[in-house]
Amino acid sequence: MSAIQTIPLEWYLLLSTVLFTIGVLGVLFRRNAIIIFMSIELMLNAVNLLLVAFSSYLSDSKGQVFVFFIMAVAAAEVAVGLAILMMVYRNTNSSDINTLNKLKW
Amino acid sequence: MITTYLFYLLSFLAIMFALMVVFSKNPIHSVLYLVLAFFTIAGHYVLLNAQFLAAVHIIVYAGAIMVLFLFVIMLLNLNKETEPHKSVWLKASAAVASGSLLVVLVGSLKGAAGIQSAKTFDASIGLIENLGQTLFNDFLLPFEVSSILLLSAMVGAVMLGKKSIK
Amino acid sequence: MLLAVQSTPLDFLPIALMFVVALGFVVIMLFLTHQLGPKKKSKVKLETFECGIEVQGNARLPFSIKYFLVAILFVLFDVEVIFMYPWAVNFKQLGLIGFVEMLTFVGFLLVGFYYILKKGALKWE
Repeated sequence: MSAIQTIPLEWYLLLSTVLFTIGVLGVLFRRNAIIIFMSIELMLNAVNLLLVAFSSYLSDSKGQVFVFFIMAVAAAEVAVGLAILMMVYRNTNSSDINTLNKLKW
Repeated sequence: MITTYLFYLLSFLAIMFALMVVFSKNPIHSVLYLVLAFFTIAGHYVLLNAQFLAAVHIIVYAGAIMVLFLFVIMLLNLNKETEPHKSVWLKASAAVASGSLLVVLVGSLKGAAGIQSAKTFDASIGLIENLGQTLFNDFLLPFEVSSILLLSAMVGAVMLGKKSIK
Repeated sequence: MLLAVQSTPLDFLPIALMFVVALGFVVIMLFLTHQLGPKKKSKVKLETFECGIEVQGNARLPFSIKYFLVAILFVLFDVEVIFMYPWAVNFKQLGLIGFVEMLTFVGFLLVGFYYILKKGALKWE
């Protein structure tokens, strides 16, 4: 017995949509760069959940392999992004994104 | 029956923890709530018969990436409440924007109603053998490209991190 | 469909049970010690205890960035290893081609590792 027999696919679609929107809300709502990063991770995970749901409802393992690649991309993104964040903190002494307006037109 | 209740429980917890990540004042609390949200998502993977992915998800996200976030917060020394608040207008517009995004996305889910799930249900999809077969036969090029991506991430992180030591 | 391994979410019931027992044990023990233990609060007792030495400053000092570099590199190699699990399980079926694929993959990462060593990112003087 698994989720597939008892739970409609739409519920998973709805759940990952809500999680994705919460991630978007976090990016728009907060000014701390670390929290914004975490919200981006949340969005990536919502997409992962969607891919896994489709993969197991359609009995196709390709969706789950995509999730591997998304994890690799997420790890690379986090590594470089947090290194950049450290540099920003060293130069401006804050993690507030509003201090990074030098390139703003 | 049990799986339905588990789905409700895990979904409720996932959404609640995600909201706590966004709205908690202390960044360390945010990180810890994010760990909990990742655990609930791993629970969903188990429900969806993606067992190996659940294990990998916990290893990578809850294990590695969260450690990295905690390290950064420790390094940044954020114990004082430094985050200046956005103006009420900006917060309201953020809420309105993401709310309308939610409405649009949910509206677009109507198109998914016609999706038929597979006739023969295969419980072994999430097993490591099947994933390995797909990964190493159909997704060979992305696999090799991802190693280049990891290499470039390594070089970038060392470049940025080393510079600030000196 | 006849499969050697049929695994379902219900096979994870023991693990879930173990989680519940472990968490419940911690919660109950903490609750009981708070409830049963005698409580005496004085100023000296509530102070932070640091081996008898007086407390100086805050515990949240920013520490060296070297730890951070090690953590970043750990994450990247961790992701590398998750690609190896499916390869190792399918090692026989994939044959020589799979072996060459993995050699290329690891080769790229070894280049990165060589760069890290040359750059001295893991040096700890």
